Amino acid sequence: MAKQRFWIACLALIALSIYLFVSAPPPLEEKKAADAAIPVERMFEILKAENDVVRTMWTKEVVGAGKQTGLKFDESWRDPDVEAGPLPALFLRETAKSLEKNPTPLSLFLGSDYPVNSANRFEGLQLEKFQVVKQTLKPQFFFMPDIQMRVAMFSDVAIVEGCIQCHNKHEQSPKHDWKLNDVMGATTWMYPSESVSIDELLRTLAALRQGFKEAYESYLEKARKFANPPGIGEHWPAEGYFLPSSEVFMGEIAKRTAPQTLAALSSLASKPQSGSATSKEEGSHVIAR
Amino acid sequence: MRAKTGGARKWQNRAYVTGVCFGTAILAFTVFPVGEWFHAKGPMNTGHGKLACAACHKNAPGSFRQQIQANLRHAFDRRDMPTPFFGRLPVGNADCLACHERPNDRHPVYRFLEPRFSQAREKLRPHQCVSCHAEHRGRRVTLAETGYCVNCHKDTRLKKDPIDVPHADLIAGKQWDSCLGCHDFHGNHIMQVEKSVDKRMPAEKIRAYFDGGPSPYGTTLRYKAKQDGQ
Repeated sequence: MAKQRFWIACLALIALSIYLFVSAPPPLEEKKAADAAIPVERMFEILKAENDVVRTMWTKEVVGAGKQTGLKFDESWRDPDVEAGPLPALFLRETAKSLEKNPTPLSLFLGSDYPVNSANRFEGLQLEKFQVVKQTLKPQFFFMPDIQMRVAMFSDVAIVEGCIQCHNKHEQSPKHDWKLNDVMGATTWMYPSESVSIDELLRTLAALRQGFKEAYESYLEKARKFANPPGIGEHWPAEGYFLPSSEVFMGEIAKRTAPQTLAALSSLASKPQSGSATSKEEGSHVIAR
Repeated sequence: MRAKTGGARKWQNRAYVTGVCFGTAILAFTVFPVGEWFHAKGPMNTGHGKLACAACHKNAPGSFRQQIQANLRHAFDRRDMPTPFFGRLPVGNADCLACHERPNDRHPVYRFLEPRFSQAREKLRPHQCVSCHAEHRGRRVTLAETGYCVNCHKDTRLKKDPIDVPHADLIAGKQWDSCLGCHDFHGNHIMQVEKSVDKRMPAEKIRAYFDGGPSPYGTTLRYKAKQDGQ
């Protein structure tokens, strides 16, 4: 009887091995650690440079020029009875919101030590790092252990008169003596891994561009419903009561960011990279665990 | 060993057949949708009664066989990493937001991922939907306390305060239970906010709402939840 049981066990083990290995489907794809990965700090710098271009374009050529030709921009732009577009900080927030919907685990925030909205005031470690950014104008990179996130902080500088005028006049602003080129705040970027592959970097860059696109399209959607909608197409606000179409807006971003982004990508691509893909879901599961 | 008699063998076979039928029935009951209520951890939360298990509990990548294979390969040093998830994926914010994501959310979960909210994360874990809306409890909000605003709003100051008792006084008096009497946390109800603190909704009504009762903020919503993420 013992011999019989031994043979039954052997047969069962052979059958299980055949089931699992011989007749098994292809092995699950494995995410390998990158051999020559790109430090996440480098990715943050590329993303920040893209954001700077868009932020300047939005501030000067959409909000600044638009105000001269009849377009309105307001902090309550989302309210149904307000016919306006998002101010620069709110355009960035719209972009950040779109990023959160994207599976790429990149997060973006804007804050300050003297924000108009007190909910955006830096505290704790973020305030400490911001003080260094303010004094040195150099980005700060650090790690948040509780959420397992790599963080980068970059200065956000008053680039046009409109920024300081609006913040100085705003009744909820805690500071009324902003000057041109002051560090008014900082952008905070977060990503869960310390290094990324070139594929991952490109996906993240695409996600950021998608964020710009969705933020702009949400404004266009609103502008189309104005009692007197602006002409949407090839023209920009500097040419009159117009807004560029989504394609024209994104085309201009691609054109202006291309020199620096392509140069940065080419220098990184000269080294061989392998994948270390991470998704937003995995990021949130890390937190959940 | 002594050979079994004909009668004993007959009963043994009947026991085998009964066991197999019984096992198959239990298996069918646990696998098919008809038995979902049986193996759920508890009653579904308010508004989730019609959701199927698979609406939130998604399959992990690969088949069971591939997952077992990957983990065995890892055990025998033939693979760098085991599969991160086996069977089903854990339920995360993305599953909730597939139906509940809205552009007007006053407190979207991702905002609490910002480094400056580390203390709030430690106390309340507001960066995860399930911290306040744990599923399978048969309620709407599972957080017991109503004064949780204290975790982030201790320093809130309004220059033009529209209410009769200034927010600064309410904060100084630590009246954190009063916040939800006027403010809907996620801001999805179309409502007129009271200007008199005395006219705020009583805490009992808020708690009843948490428990699945009628909304004290009215029934007109800015955005309705999508059905099954559609």
